[in-house]
Amino acid sequence: MLRRIASHLFWTARNLERAEWRARLLDVNYHLLIESPPRDAQPWGPLLAIFGERELFTASYTTADDASILNFFALDTDNPNSIRSCINAARNNAISLRHYISSELWLDLNTLYLNAQEWTPDLFVSPGVFAFFADLKDSFYRLAGIRQSTIPRDIAYDFMQLGIMLERTEDVSRMLDVKYHFLLPRLEDVGGSVDILQWAAVLRSASGLEAYRKRFGNSIRIDNVVEILLFDPTFPRSARFALATLETSLNRVMSLSPEPSPPSTQLEELSALMRSKRPLEVIKSGLHQFLIQIQDGCAALGDEVFQRYLKTD
Amino acid sequence: MLLRIVHTTRFEYQVPAYDSHNEVRMRPLDSASQRCVEFDLDLTPATSTFEYDDYYGNRVHGFSFHEQHPALIVAAKSLVERIAPPPAPAVPMPFGEFLLEDHARNRAEYDFLNASRHVPFSEPLRKFFWLGKPDPSEDVAAYANRMVAFIRDQFVYEPGMTKVQSTADEILSAGGGVCQDFAHLTIGVLRLAGIPARYVSGYLAPEAKSTVETVGAQASHAWLEAQLPGSGWTGFDPTNGCMVDERHIRVAIGRDYADVPPMRGTYRSHGGRQLMSVELQIERMSDHSRATDPDNGSNQQNQQ
Amino acid sequence: MTATVPETGKAVPVWAAYKPVNSAFDEMLDMSSRARPGCQPVVDTMFAMPPAQFTEICARADRMFRRMGVTFNVYGAADGSERIFPFDPIPRVIDADTWANLEAGLIQRVRALNAFLADVYGDGCILSDGVVPRDLVLGCAQFRRAAVGIKPPLGNFVTVAGIDLVRGADGRFYVLEDNVRTPSGVSYVIENRVVMTRLVPNLMRSCRVRSVERYPADLLQCLMEQSPNGKSNPTIAILTPGPFNSAFFEHVFLSQQMGIELVEGVDLVCVDRKLYMKDVHGLRQIDVLYRRIDDDFLDPLVFRPDSLLGVAGLTSVLRAGNAAIANGVGTGVADDKAIYAYTPAMIRYYLAEEPILPIVETFLLRDPEVREQVLKNLDRYVVKPTGASGGYGVVIGPKADEAELAATRDRIVSDPSAFIAQPVIALSVHPTIIHNGSESAMEVAPRHIDFRPFVLLGAKPRVLAGGLTRVALREGSLIVNSSQGGGSKDTWVLEA
Repeated sequence: MLRRIASHLFWTARNLERAEWRARLLDVNYHLLIESPPRDAQPWGPLLAIFGERELFTASYTTADDASILNFFALDTDNPNSIRSCINAARNNAISLRHYISSELWLDLNTLYLNAQEWTPDLFVSPGVFAFFADLKDSFYRLAGIRQSTIPRDIAYDFMQLGIMLERTEDVSRMLDVKYHFLLPRLEDVGGSVDILQWAAVLRSASGLEAYRKRFGNSIRIDNVVEILLFDPTFPRSARFALATLETSLNRVMSLSPEPSPPSTQLEELSALMRSKRPLEVIKSGLHQFLIQIQDGCAALGDEVFQRYLKTD
Repeated sequence: MLLRIVHTTRFEYQVPAYDSHNEVRMRPLDSASQRCVEFDLDLTPATSTFEYDDYYGNRVHGFSFHEQHPALIVAAKSLVERIAPPPAPAVPMPFGEFLLEDHARNRAEYDFLNASRHVPFSEPLRKFFWLGKPDPSEDVAAYANRMVAFIRDQFVYEPGMTKVQSTADEILSAGGGVCQDFAHLTIGVLRLAGIPARYVSGYLAPEAKSTVETVGAQASHAWLEAQLPGSGWTGFDPTNGCMVDERHIRVAIGRDYADVPPMRGTYRSHGGRQLMSVELQIERMSDHSRATDPDNGSNQQNQQ
Repeated sequence: MTATVPETGKAVPVWAAYKPVNSAFDEMLDMSSRARPGCQPVVDTMFAMPPAQFTEICARADRMFRRMGVTFNVYGAADGSERIFPFDPIPRVIDADTWANLEAGLIQRVRALNAFLADVYGDGCILSDGVVPRDLVLGCAQFRRAAVGIKPPLGNFVTVAGIDLVRGADGRFYVLEDNVRTPSGVSYVIENRVVMTRLVPNLMRSCRVRSVERYPADLLQCLMEQSPNGKSNPTIAILTPGPFNSAFFEHVFLSQQMGIELVEGVDLVCVDRKLYMKDVHGLRQIDVLYRRIDDDFLDPLVFRPDSLLGVAGLTSVLRAGNAAIANGVGTGVADDKAIYAYTPAMIRYYLAEEPILPIVETFLLRDPEVREQVLKNLDRYVVKPTGASGGYGVVIGPKADEAELAATRDRIVSDPSAFIAQPVIALSVHPTIIHNGSESAMEVAPRHIDFRPFVLLGAKPRVLAGGLTRVALREGSLIVNSSQGGGSKDTWVLEA
């Protein structure tokens, strides 16, 4: 497999995963604010801070209201990580992949891309924010479905998996961080009805509410949420699941090398980090710090993959 | 006359270079009046080289570096024996008679009679040719000499007025240039007159016994050869307004500078600039010192 | 008001107005409206089709092409839509006898062109012997001095040739142009056939049409035979300029059909005079590179220094004999339209044979007497720039207005060796569906066509039994290029 193609596969998949998480995060934040009106003058602050995009935002927008935030996170092509930018990047990477992916996958992705070019802020008014995100979620599900059913489980599939799972690990930890670290109300509200609602919204955005209930019942506790989103090996959007899947793909890629491959130090470190603590310990010693460690580990792993397999220059 | 020449080019890369591919035309030519007795190409970092003769018969040395390197030093060392054989006498011939064979000459010497990259047959060049054009009774060799003298007279030698990519048009508009430009302009005029003219890149040995000069990017000298009735390819040095003599060492010939750059290469790096410096040493050796000089090594490969 | 076809007696509403013209050779019907050799089954079937059926066939074809991704590329920044090369479902038929003659003529021609290239980049005998003027070759921009001294395996400079043919009013095939640099279009030939096989399977079977599906296997075979030093099991790759090139679909298609890697400049590197591609697990050596980029972009060390499409050091790899490219460096000199005038002489010189396929009479405008004659009657000639390819820069005298003729005159006078002139050939015509906006307005009308068969040169020459028939969709137009309003038809070469 050519390094350039591996890179295109990796980034097509990663950008789509990123776009989907952005959509989910934006969706959950938006609905949290509707369900529990903010006491905070800066209700969108946490989201901007999590992505480190506050400066980029304030450079072009004067007020942080619903309209400008939705525009910035969903439509703005000057924001390289807006939903539209990610879809554009995914499609532009896929142009070179016509002979590596099925025509259905290309057609569907290209259709999403063409639709995205037509998005305007009016969409948030009519048919409205809810419909916008619902449609988007369907598009992502369909793409994932086509990918899963048409791409043979070969090295091309593995490079897509690397991109997807790396992004998923980072983004699920970001999603936890948004709720836990920033949307945390005053101490006396912890465990209160608002807090519970917010955790339920987070689980719903990860499509994990039913999975949570199946395992833990109706009562929502922080440590159980942390367990399911970070440590559950069976839940498809958990960090542990993502890392295990990543490891499988990485091992397969390494096994194809004509020379013996040294193991991935970054993956070992990240896996060790995940094994090192249980949810209650994590919460006691500082969830935010743990999540930052995960994200740093992902950045280092991404860099290692780049150096080893994707870099052409 | 025996000359030792050491032509050293140094490149420094602000950010290390890699995937570097190069071709060098620095080995002096062999001819009736010149023999390259020894030639070595020392490279730092060391790497293997390959050789071939290009379309015009110039010896090309090629080499490449795949790995990163912060600098490159190319040292071309040659020992050249220069003989000034009695020149074949020019046969007097007026243009009227000379041009009768123009068609046949265009087939035989096409490359040296037609426009080339640095010598386009542009409006300014044609006008300049027209100013001093020969009439049918003028002798061909006399015309060539006249134009060489005229150009020396009309243009000033001054670095910085033109660039290495300049065509003959630039020296016309700037009023001056370097030896490369003088050669291009003279070649252009002679070609328009129907006289085959080719570009020569080489060295000009100093008057004194030896010199070590740091001459920036322009260590090589440039002149031309015109194919005249009787005397054949005859060398002229328009920068110095004279005919070629035993101080001129021929290294490569072509249509113009584009065919004979002393060094041409490509490389990659993650940014930064390439800084180049050149040093040229030319030393006249007396005949008996050649036989006894222990430093006269023929297979010195720099193995740093 | 419907006419009937004399042979079948069937009503032909769509064909009501169809009549062979006497100014051009109609490839389907002769002047008495009888079907030409081999065309009867097509006439029987398609003359009986009502407009609704044609509409359905065309729609099905369009859907199939889109699904297969047979597009010519328009990846604009805001525009992701892709255009299908217009397709006409009425096939062009060539009977076995006619084909046998064409095939022999094409093989002869490509062998001579290849010998010419080996000669001008070698000893230059044809130049010293004065058969082709030396200055014509040296003055050709496509003559690459850097290629002198590079000896390709098997002496093959040409591996793939696309020879453009036209059929004159006399019914004879003439060579219009040679394409031996990076000829394209064969993917349309194959995909058109796939579509036609689904649209009219019974008709095709009854005609006994020769297959074109072996082409990728044959091309692969020829590329393998180009392996340097006879290295067995060579690694082959296609070099493409990338997805923003109009022929990208074909590059992808061929790489898939042949099962070889599709590479771009950025994937390549030369190390120690060998060519490699950058694989995730390290460098993989390439032995034969089927390159779909022009010489100018091949090697920034020797050609254009700003090129990112090729790889630095490639020429040195070729010179060392550690890799081969198809087609070789410098083949463009055989494409040149002035050199074309000497191709019959080449056939006689290298093969000691008489040319089987005639060329179009060609006037070299560098000759002052010839030039004067042509300029006096410019409106009767087709003027072509010698170095261009396709239909670009071509001026068709009878169709040009005063201003265009005057401009052409000026261009010729200022640079006469850059142009040639040819008499206007009335290209043959073929029944083509004209939609005219609605089913009720649909009709079949004669439109000009040309023909590009493909010749492969490996250890031995092979000709694809078929080729690309391009049709000028605009009435009266002679320009068939895809980018200038052309379309294509499936070409059926019949079994003997």
